Amino acid sequence: MLEKQMAGHRVDRSICAWFWDYVLSQGGDPSMILPVIASPTHYLFQLFRDGIIFLACTQVEMPPLMGIEFLCRVADVLTDYLGGLNEDVIKDNFVIVYEILDEMMDNGIPLTTEPNILREMITPPNIVSKMLSIVTGKNSNVSANLPDATASCIPWRKTNPKHSSNEVYVNLVEEMDAVFNRDGILVKCEIYGEVQVNSHLPGLPDLTLSFSNPSILYDIRFHPCVRFRPWESDQILSFVPPDGEFRLMSYRVKKLKNTPIYVKPQLTSDAGNCRVNVLVGIRNDPGKAIDSITVQFQLPLCVASANLTPNHGTVNILADKTCCWSIGQIPKDKSPSLSGNLVLEVGLDKLHVFPVFRVGFRIMGVAFSGLQIHKLDVKNTPSEPYKGFRALTRSGEYEVRA
Amino acid sequence: MFHQFSATAESLSKASSLVLRIGTDAHLYDDPDDVSIGPLLESRFDSEKVDALKRLLALLAQGSDVSQFFPQVVKNVASQSLELKKLVYLYLLHYAEKRQNEALLSINCFQKDLSDTNPLVRAWALRTMAGIRLHAVAPLVLRAITKCARDPSAYVRKCAAYALPKLYDLHHDEDNSSFEELVDILLNDHSPGVVGAAAAAFKSVCPSSLFLIAKSFRRLCEILPDVEEWGQIVLIEILLRYIIARHGIVKESIMFSLSTMSTTPVADGFPTFSGTSGSCQTLVGTTCDVNMITLMCKSYIDGQIECFAQTGCSNSSDDKLDLSLTSSTNDDVVMLLRCTSPLLWSHNSAVVLAAAGVHWIMAPRENIERIIKPLLFILRSCQASKYVILCNLLVFAKAVPPFFSQYYEDFFVCSYDTYQIRALKLEILSIIATESSIPIILQEFQDYVKDPDRRFVADTVAAIGLCAQRLPMVASACLEGLLAITFYESSLSSSSQIDGEAGVLVQAIMSIKAIIKQNPDSYDRVIVQLACNLDRIKIPAARALVIWIIGEYSVIGQIIPKVVPSILNYLAWSFTSEEPDTKLQILNTAAKVLLCAQGADSLAFRKILSYFIELAKYDINYDVRDRAHFIFKFMPHSLMTSSEKDNNSDISQNGRMHHEPGGKILNGKMHSSISSTKSSRIYLPGSLSQIVLHAASGYEPLPKPCSLLNTDLTAGVVNETNDSDISSGSSIEESGSVYDSDHSSISSDDGNESSWLDEEPGVSSIQTSQQASSGRISINNLNLLVEIFFENCSSEPIKNIALKDGESSSSVESSDQVLGESESLLRTANVPPVLSTEEIASLDPGQRVKKLIEIRFPHHLLPLKLVVTCNGKKFSTKLWPDIGYFLKPLSMNTSAFIDHERQLPGMFEYSKRCTFKDHIEKIAPVKDDSSIHSDKIILLSQILTSKVLSNCNVSLVCADIPVSFNIDDASGLCLRFSGELLSNSKPCLISILVEGKFSEPFVLTVKINCEETVFGLNLLNRVAAFLQ
Repeated sequence: MLEKQMAGHRVDRSICAWFWDYVLSQGGDPSMILPVIASPTHYLFQLFRDGIIFLACTQVEMPPLMGIEFLCRVADVLTDYLGGLNEDVIKDNFVIVYEILDEMMDNGIPLTTEPNILREMITPPNIVSKMLSIVTGKNSNVSANLPDATASCIPWRKTNPKHSSNEVYVNLVEEMDAVFNRDGILVKCEIYGEVQVNSHLPGLPDLTLSFSNPSILYDIRFHPCVRFRPWESDQILSFVPPDGEFRLMSYRVKKLKNTPIYVKPQLTSDAGNCRVNVLVGIRNDPGKAIDSITVQFQLPLCVASANLTPNHGTVNILADKTCCWSIGQIPKDKSPSLSGNLVLEVGLDKLHVFPVFRVGFRIMGVAFSGLQIHKLDVKNTPSEPYKGFRALTRSGEYEVRA
Repeated sequence: MFHQFSATAESLSKASSLVLRIGTDAHLYDDPDDVSIGPLLESRFDSEKVDALKRLLALLAQGSDVSQFFPQVVKNVASQSLELKKLVYLYLLHYAEKRQNEALLSINCFQKDLSDTNPLVRAWALRTMAGIRLHAVAPLVLRAITKCARDPSAYVRKCAAYALPKLYDLHHDEDNSSFEELVDILLNDHSPGVVGAAAAAFKSVCPSSLFLIAKSFRRLCEILPDVEEWGQIVLIEILLRYIIARHGIVKESIMFSLSTMSTTPVADGFPTFSGTSGSCQTLVGTTCDVNMITLMCKSYIDGQIECFAQTGCSNSSDDKLDLSLTSSTNDDVVMLLRCTSPLLWSHNSAVVLAAAGVHWIMAPRENIERIIKPLLFILRSCQASKYVILCNLLVFAKAVPPFFSQYYEDFFVCSYDTYQIRALKLEILSIIATESSIPIILQEFQDYVKDPDRRFVADTVAAIGLCAQRLPMVASACLEGLLAITFYESSLSSSSQIDGEAGVLVQAIMSIKAIIKQNPDSYDRVIVQLACNLDRIKIPAARALVIWIIGEYSVIGQIIPKVVPSILNYLAWSFTSEEPDTKLQILNTAAKVLLCAQGADSLAFRKILSYFIELAKYDINYDVRDRAHFIFKFMPHSLMTSSEKDNNSDISQNGRMHHEPGGKILNGKMHSSISSTKSSRIYLPGSLSQIVLHAASGYEPLPKPCSLLNTDLTAGVVNETNDSDISSGSSIEESGSVYDSDHSSISSDDGNESSWLDEEPGVSSIQTSQQASSGRISINNLNLLVEIFFENCSSEPIKNIALKDGESSSSVESSDQVLGESESLLRTANVPPVLSTEEIASLDPGQRVKKLIEIRFPHHLLPLKLVVTCNGKKFSTKLWPDIGYFLKPLSMNTSAFIDHERQLPGMFEYSKRCTFKDHIEKIAPVKDDSSIHSDKIILLSQILTSKVLSNCNVSLVCADIPVSFNIDDASGLCLRFSGELLSNSKPCLISILVEGKFSEPFVLTVKINCEETVFGLNLLNRVAAFLQ
């Protein structure tokens, strides 16, 4: 447990004990409880991420989304700094965590949350600095100078990054959300995509990115660096990028009609037994290989034992009755299927609740929504940089109800 | 095999984590005390000190108290190493409040750092200095902030803005003007980052000083998109409040256009929604729940209720209402809407919600739809924010369902949602369903019914019921589905008891009941079907519900009356094996059936009922016994056999009289149950209160429309109001010195620090004349008697004047809303600060009334809030304590004084020099008479002593008169006073040393020795102030 007091009015640590009691009283699963809780003394905001609970408390009115969003940001920054998020890395780097928290928040008001600037103020731990600290016995991860960007009008960018490389990568990462109902009909299918940019450009570059088919975008959100005017008039993204990786834009494409793969589960039950048969296949060939296909479902509580065999891939049944079938790539010659038998608890004749199958997959090199980047112009750089484009589609909330 | 593998995996991961941990601070965290920290802190090397501090932080993070190292740590504040500095600051902030005295030692260093060339050092110093919360240094911090607010570095200015709320929190005194000035400077900064921080400062320091916004409103709007995201959230809220206060509500917005339309026939538009041909053409093809909007409007805006109540009944007050309205073409409104609309694309969902809130309240209704898509988009962020957004969407959807009706797909539940999110989605779905979308939604609901989470299934069943009630078209289809669920569930629960199944069944029958209630005549078959399956339904609550339905609709249609006798027979057979709940319902139903029955059946029913009553009279459960007696007493007439009735026509007369109430009670139509209190509570969109559904402390509804007058804007400081209009009571919150004399307020006598002191002798004299035993200040509980004069300066009489404690009255108000939660709990522990209050019935013009109240100050720096009510209006004011009251005399002789003085050296001793020239005019007349020069010194001592004694409650210990050859020289005169603190009886010693000649102003050195450093420093300032 790390604690950072923000406002002058000190919050007693006992609030954490109260929180744990509350979690236990609600069933003991921190991911299932309300994000905003009114305790007898404080209002708590909680965020559960990778086994770490981030807890913030307030006594007075404030926008709760602001609290939650800030906790998300803290979690992001810590993940970024420590290369992961778990109890051990936080313990190992507790000084850095304290220093980051101190920079990110002042008296309950977020101060510096821009990762670029934070990196300049507090150096992230890396192998070199670790080795250096062992050899010399000295290490300082606090920068001696205030990043100049805090004063500039583009607070997200270092003023003068020095790079040996001169390159910019644009990544389209799309997540597909789809729901099939029990009749196998596609109820909802949409794509949530992000334009991720990784820029290593010197000076103060000015980038313009345009799409060949911006009209398919249903809804958009921008990084603060994007200028609103050019988008409003010409649907062009014009921006001065931060240094390093960032999410330039996120978008939604709705009302898609088809999905790359199909999953057809069949469950028939009688006399205390339930036959399961799941078929997976390619519905709509995207032109690139679909890999990392997984099908995951939760066996109903009333199932006493299960015997499932796939004709391709492996099946794992975990202790909490989660069943994972990892397929990988679909082979050319056969379509993968999973079949088996579930034995129901004594006294139950038929299965009355049906599991939901969550499907995972990944397609490299394809943006399934069809969004295409038209061109990327870089101005204000001494020499023409290397530009790279990639695309990836993976499953988001993709589920099939049995 | 797996074991082996997992073992190797474990050891591998251990090994890899070991490798990774090299060079990190892991060893410090695991074993912080393995070396003694003290010597490390004293080390000459920075690196060792850093090591020690990291260990301290580790201990601190683990929850142990390491404040004993405070003095050693504080010394390191002067270090040049930035990392060391940072760590020291972290430690200092954590413990400064606990170890105030030692923390004072660091102040000098901060002041030095404030003029460092590195802006980072300046910023850190300011942040820490403001953060350590010492009352004594508050003036220094204010000076530092003032300086930093003009710093060349934007980062430092930003930190200055952030420091303002800290200081304000610590010490907000008589006038806010210095704070307001600083906020003003920072709001006008050219750097967007600073403006964002200034907005945050504005919100916590002076949220009601909206006139500060007036002059820079347009600039703030323009700069809004460039402000960093956290600042945007706050700034949007401030701008919205300003617009409302300055221009009022927009005429075309949904808030206004619909809430005033409640007189038109569209009042219950949505429940009977039928296509777009609503009865109101102005609605641009949409219908909305007007009641909901009216309620929303009332909750959003402070004091808006009367305003709309007037328009609701007549149009005569239209012109009056127009004052608080503005049109959407108002430049400022257009500006705000234009500048907030790009923020709907923000990455930060809190910004999106805040911007959407502005549009929701201010935008013309045709333009509101643009906020829907962004709101639905931010739904796809983390689960925690999803919940908050859905809570807000629910309110929007309730108010104007058509806005959302085409987006039903976004509210479909998916397996990743937590239970709370699913419940919210269901509620929204059942609200926004329309005739075109309901088939798809019902199809979706059918899938949900098979979900493994049975609690969610029960909610789905309830939602189906709601949809059927809202859209009568699908009612029969829904009913069929619900019946199927009921039969399926009842068959299931008979075979095995599974958690949650019972809930589904009960909910299904409740939904059926609700649908039947709307149109009982057409659903008689359903009731019969239910009744026939009664033996399969095993869950008591469900059985009770079915039995209730049978009793309620026993005479409807053709079939039901025919099956009722057999059902009653069946129940008579099963009565003894039923649960108490079911038994109660059986009794009620039997009685109801009997009351409705006509003709031949009534005899059979009478028999059955008397049989039930006989059984119930000897039941184990006393509720059942009570119910049996109750029915028996109320319906004796119906229960008598016909032969008896003939014999006793006398009793039958009585019986007839009882027959009436019995029928009324049992056959009375149920009023629709009170809609859940939850839904009627609405708070501003995006607020915490909206999520927890009670007003969180600090929650403020929007300001009253047009409460910000032009005069306020020109005056700069709100300290003037018209004679006739006292309603803008906010102005009285200022300190006493700014009251206008022509103001018809009563408060001009209290709250003013100078008048306080003048009153003091009066207070004591009255007290002694009445009760010789008690002093001016009753010791131990810090109570104080204050004499207050009420004088009516206006030309009209004032009625019902009362003086109340501001804190307690406000807590009463809030507990009305809060349902007596946290804060009222906190307050009850304290003794109420104002002990006696009496009401003055009436005060004629020019009349003066004197009142005595007993007061208890909570702290020597904090004011006591008082509320004066008169003519039904409230004025709040503050009473500032004088630090001199927090002492009581402590008599001691000179040697004891010197002993004490010696025990309080170093940091407990502080002195201040000041000049004194009161003596010049007083002693001047006797100046010529040189023969009594020693008397001059005595005279001076007397003046000084009386001055001190009239301001501080201390006793004079001694006066050292110097042996001097120069008659004009008073150097060396030393006066000593002693007192002890009321709160903890610690001694407090005051010495005043005089230097200089009688002909010139003296230089006095005031020295105070006191263990309570903060109190002492404040007392020192006070003494120096009144001596000057």
